[in-house]
Amino acid sequence: MQKTTVVVIGGGATGVGILRDLCMRGVDAILLEQQDLAYGTSSRYHGLLHSGGRYAVKDAEAGKECIEENTILRKIGRHCVEQTEGFFARTHLDDEAFEGKWVEACAKVGIPTIPISVEEALRLEPNLSPKIKSVYRVPDAAIDGFRMVWQNVASARKYGGRVLTYTTVIGIEQSNNQVVGIKVRNTLTGEVSNIACDFIVSAAGSWAGEIAALAGINVNVQPDRGTLIAFNHRITSRIVNRLRPASDGDIFVPHGSITILGTTSASVNKPDDTVPNAKEVVELLNIGEALFEDIRSYRMLRAFAGTRPLYSADPNATGRGASRGFVTLDHAHDGLKGFVSVVGGKFTTYRLMAEKVTDLVCGYLNVKTPCRTAVENLVEDTSPALMAKARLYFPAYGAELAASRLGSEGLEKVIARIQEKPEKRQLLCECENVTMAEVEEAAADSTSYMISDVRRKTRMGMGTCQGAFCTFRSVGAVDANGLSWGKDTNVLFKEFLQGRWKGIRPILWGNVMREMELTRGIYEGTLNINGAIDNEGI
Amino acid sequence: MREYDIVVIGGGLAGLMAAAAATKRGKKVTLLSLGSGTLTIGGGIVDVMGYLEGGIPAATPSAGLLQVGEGHPYKKIGRPAIEESIRFFKEICEQEGYSYIGNLDKTQWIPTAAGTLKPTCLVPKTMDTTELKKADKVTVLGFDALKDFYPSLIAKNFKKIPAFAQKEYEVVMVDPKLSEGRDVTALDVARWLDTEEGLASCIEKMRNVIDSGSVVIIPPVLGTRPDYAVKEKLEKALGCHFIETASVPPSITGLRLRTMLVRYLKKNGVRIVEQAIVAKSIVEDGKCVAVITEGVDRERTYYAKSFILANGGFYGGGLLAEPGKVIEPIFNLPVEAPTDHELWANYSLFSSEAQPFAKLGLDVDEKMRPLDANGKVLLNNVYVAGRNLRGYDFSFEKSGNGVAIASGYQAAMSV
Amino acid sequence: MKKHHNNPDSCTACTVCIANCPVTAATRKFRGPKMVGPTLERMRLSQDDIEPSLEYCSNCKNCDMSCPSGVPISTLNMLARAKYFKNRKRSLRDWILSHGEKMAKLSAATPGMANFGMKMSRGILKKIGISDKAPLPAYASKSFSKLFKNLKQTSYPDKVVFYPGCFINYNDPQVGMDFVAVMQANKLEVIVEEDFVCCGSPLVVNGFLDEAEENAKQNVQILKKWTDKGYPIITCCTSCGLMLKQEYQELFHIEGVAEYAKHLYDADEFLLDLHDQGRLNTNFGTLNEKYMYHAPCHLRAQGMGLPGVELLALIPGLDVQDADAGCCGISGNYGFKDDKYDISMEIGSGLFKAIKDSGRDTVVSECGTCRLQIGHGANVKTLHPLTLVRKSYEAYHK
Repeated sequence: MQKTTVVVIGGGATGVGILRDLCMRGVDAILLEQQDLAYGTSSRYHGLLHSGGRYAVKDAEAGKECIEENTILRKIGRHCVEQTEGFFARTHLDDEAFEGKWVEACAKVGIPTIPISVEEALRLEPNLSPKIKSVYRVPDAAIDGFRMVWQNVASARKYGGRVLTYTTVIGIEQSNNQVVGIKVRNTLTGEVSNIACDFIVSAAGSWAGEIAALAGINVNVQPDRGTLIAFNHRITSRIVNRLRPASDGDIFVPHGSITILGTTSASVNKPDDTVPNAKEVVELLNIGEALFEDIRSYRMLRAFAGTRPLYSADPNATGRGASRGFVTLDHAHDGLKGFVSVVGGKFTTYRLMAEKVTDLVCGYLNVKTPCRTAVENLVEDTSPALMAKARLYFPAYGAELAASRLGSEGLEKVIARIQEKPEKRQLLCECENVTMAEVEEAAADSTSYMISDVRRKTRMGMGTCQGAFCTFRSVGAVDANGLSWGKDTNVLFKEFLQGRWKGIRPILWGNVMREMELTRGIYEGTLNINGAIDNEGI
Repeated sequence: MREYDIVVIGGGLAGLMAAAAATKRGKKVTLLSLGSGTLTIGGGIVDVMGYLEGGIPAATPSAGLLQVGEGHPYKKIGRPAIEESIRFFKEICEQEGYSYIGNLDKTQWIPTAAGTLKPTCLVPKTMDTTELKKADKVTVLGFDALKDFYPSLIAKNFKKIPAFAQKEYEVVMVDPKLSEGRDVTALDVARWLDTEEGLASCIEKMRNVIDSGSVVIIPPVLGTRPDYAVKEKLEKALGCHFIETASVPPSITGLRLRTMLVRYLKKNGVRIVEQAIVAKSIVEDGKCVAVITEGVDRERTYYAKSFILANGGFYGGGLLAEPGKVIEPIFNLPVEAPTDHELWANYSLFSSEAQPFAKLGLDVDEKMRPLDANGKVLLNNVYVAGRNLRGYDFSFEKSGNGVAIASGYQAAMSV
Repeated sequence: MKKHHNNPDSCTACTVCIANCPVTAATRKFRGPKMVGPTLERMRLSQDDIEPSLEYCSNCKNCDMSCPSGVPISTLNMLARAKYFKNRKRSLRDWILSHGEKMAKLSAATPGMANFGMKMSRGILKKIGISDKAPLPAYASKSFSKLFKNLKQTSYPDKVVFYPGCFINYNDPQVGMDFVAVMQANKLEVIVEEDFVCCGSPLVVNGFLDEAEENAKQNVQILKKWTDKGYPIITCCTSCGLMLKQEYQELFHIEGVAEYAKHLYDADEFLLDLHDQGRLNTNFGTLNEKYMYHAPCHLRAQGMGLPGVELLALIPGLDVQDADAGCCGISGNYGFKDDKYDISMEIGSGLFKAIKDSGRDTVVSECGTCRLQIGHGANVKTLHPLTLVRKSYEAYHK
């Protein structure tokens, strides 16, 4: 039986933040994730590192936390943060009176807002609607959820942290009202096992209610689904928020090669209700049009949805009325010692949440080491020498991307693969510039079990063609290298393409429909990965 | 005013076949094309009917033809015309020195790059599987650095197919030394084999890894030209049989077929206008008088007695999909589609059912003329062919090029 | 103004452009139109880096022509090239090749001397990167504008404006004179504007986008002025024509292009239109001659078919066979560059072979640099279609 001091449940931002913090303070910890890391809400949002402007008027406390954490993360997480800055733009449809209130509220909590002329804004962002009325610059930034989670894990691993993915919690073992262990099932193999531990931290987000229920404790988390759209190219190089009280569809965030528009807000019953629909997409486009007039002429890549874990002591509060702040629930108050749930909160303040929870746990464990997550970088900077070397091996635009995806250590390993076989510099995913060597390296990681896991680590299959070409190549490449996890290749093809389909189905028109005809033509029409074979006839 | 007998809109297989059949009838034809059609993407293999609803393989293409549902284009065209169209297609291929093998009474199961078999009807000789079926030992030959072909995957997956499980597989590699410069595709290897030096060098390299008499599965690389020169020279030099697989784009077999058909049309006096974006039509009294292209400079009007609309489905731009709505942009012909967009597609991408959206398209009569919702002919001298037809899911059924050939032919014969 | 979306959104990554790109077929150094165009465009919007193979695109537009999705691939490449050169020094070679008009004006005083000098200095040109094997055009002893000024035209109420372009003006003025003769035979008077400048095509392919835009502004103003008066504009050079009506719209935002473009004609197309209206002088004399025809890529890209072939088919006795063998490889000044010369010849090799196999000793083509390259590569004589039209009119009166 495995043993550890603390088990952290949930491989999202908060969970990995806690894992890293615990490990940095010398506490032995294992993180459990029911799917892949960043499978849940941490990758299913718009990827905005808030300046706090969004919250300043309604929730000054949240606004203050945001600007403080924003400042920290732009430093310690600079390899997963793009310092794009942000605009708050008031459109012709928005209330002018709110503008003054907003400026004042931002000033109060220390969020810098710099007014610029509409002409200047249009010069900087030519795709913006010329109908906008006023624009302010704020220190928003874009943050890559996948990378941020990975870099936290990479850091935690250096301090001895362990991670088990595709591991779901099925029981909380207790003795004399004290946690003694946890019962888990491997979702891929079905294998059930126990991990002995002294403490459990549930950072399961929208699933926190379900986890607490395993111990017979009620945690009132209301999953609130937000649907978003990813566009095929960078239609803005800055984040653009609509200057109005927070509402649906009013934030555009550029991320590397794409732009994300979000979000909607709707209460749902199940935390994994993440299937977006066409109606939500059309609504988002209708709203988004106020900021970007030509929005319908920009190609969508996919729609996706995540569930926000809105916590409320009042079971009737839902949606945007419920608090976006976070709460740490020490279940000792519910009669079970060694069990803490952290609920609510937002991606931008994940580190702060982790710090508070870790402080609490360390208090119980009598660990006095102070928190250092605000001062130590998530990953080391890639040295100029290594970057120069990388440029020799990667195709144009590839070296920087690979460095930020892989970190120094990963980059060195990938370079070694290319040195050994130069043709591995070829791009398996041409849309997102992912080399064969990177796919192999990601496939070889102990947390990879299918092509989708490779995707989350590399961005393969997340560009224009959404897997039309790279699915075949990546299955071929992992198989040729004996990395296909013992799975039938047709299963791998289908798993990956079905994952892509989930986000394509709700936007199946225009160029997306065209791409789908091509994708089906390749995999169903030509490669016949779906077809039964008539053995008699052959 | 220049007036042609027939204006064909669309340069894919349906349009090319319609133009070919029309010239055969002595018609003066103008073909308006935008882009180089989808043959080079989809491939030069002629699927006719592989699977029925429920995912059951059709015993033979012709058996499948009898089992399709009411709305299917094959039902409209009828079996005699389908047979004639296939005969006509084979005739052209024969005549142009790039003959196809197969017939409607036999499903050909051909190897794919994913290590599956796929049912089809007509294939170029480079995909003849006769020797493959007989062989006890099969060599799967890959090319170093070719990122679109993984021979071990084919060998491994063939072992799982009962009819192929007893065979012995050997994987060998040939290095075409194309590692410098851009990434390697099958097209690069095919172009290498197009040259005399490339072919000679390849033969030398193959000699080191395959024995005389071998049956060899290879990616589609046997030259880019519509002839069998590369195949014949290789087979003669090495005493082996080569079988190309169905593979991902760019499709070399499709490139060859397109080159051949375009050459045939030009020889037969078809005027081809490239970059012709047909945007509008002039219709008077239920007849189309002309279609109008929208260039970046100005509109140009093309008059004809009859028009064949073969400008593709969603991919080719013959149909435009919007949320809950499908538009046919040139004639504004009606397309019945669910207004609730959720009903357009199955939740599973791959299942035993066709995708509803793939079956959206234009309804036609047996002469391929467009119909309204009540079954009334809308335009007397407009004939529809190819992917814009309603009622078939080519990916699921394996029927794409078959419908293109049959409907293109039927449209031209109905004029 | 029509808004052109030079964004990568319609690309489906289908690879057809790669299969149809003549440069890709000729060299493995070029990563291909899709990769360098729409695919990397997404990266260019977020990162500063250099794709070295961008320089291999010849802007021949075969990618655009083959694209089933209407992506302006070559234009994305040209814009990327301009962005690349924004803060970089350009070679003397590229400056010289892009500024043919300036060079010509410098030499215009003494074209004979200039030609002599050019022959002598091929070694020097080679040193700066211009191939010593490439078929550089010679300067004519008198420019078209000089010849035209001395020409006595019959005045007619119907007039057309002629945009000669640099090649006709400085290197091949006879084509311009043939054009005027053909127009006169159709009772049309030709107007030539002194203030027209180079269309900018050679500037664009070498990344001098700002200068090209200056030229464009000047030309647009003049073209618009004439079309507003109701006069059609006619070009005999297909690259000039493509630039004036299409690339101006894709590359720049200048008011008026869409308006005059409606009245901008290729000479062959214009004559065919006259024919459609029953206004063409069809007093064609018989020419019992055999020619090959080569369709310039920049003509095919214009979506008007091959008007030259249809026009020449009206001439009795004339046998013109379309070589139909793809790009000749020269693509403006691409084939003049030392490092591109071999690629350019490799691209044209199929066409040269088709011409040689035909046994015909003269090739007809609208594009001046195509004619240079074909003369060089296939060792044949070359003509503009209008030269034959003029010859046929003259034969009628003999």
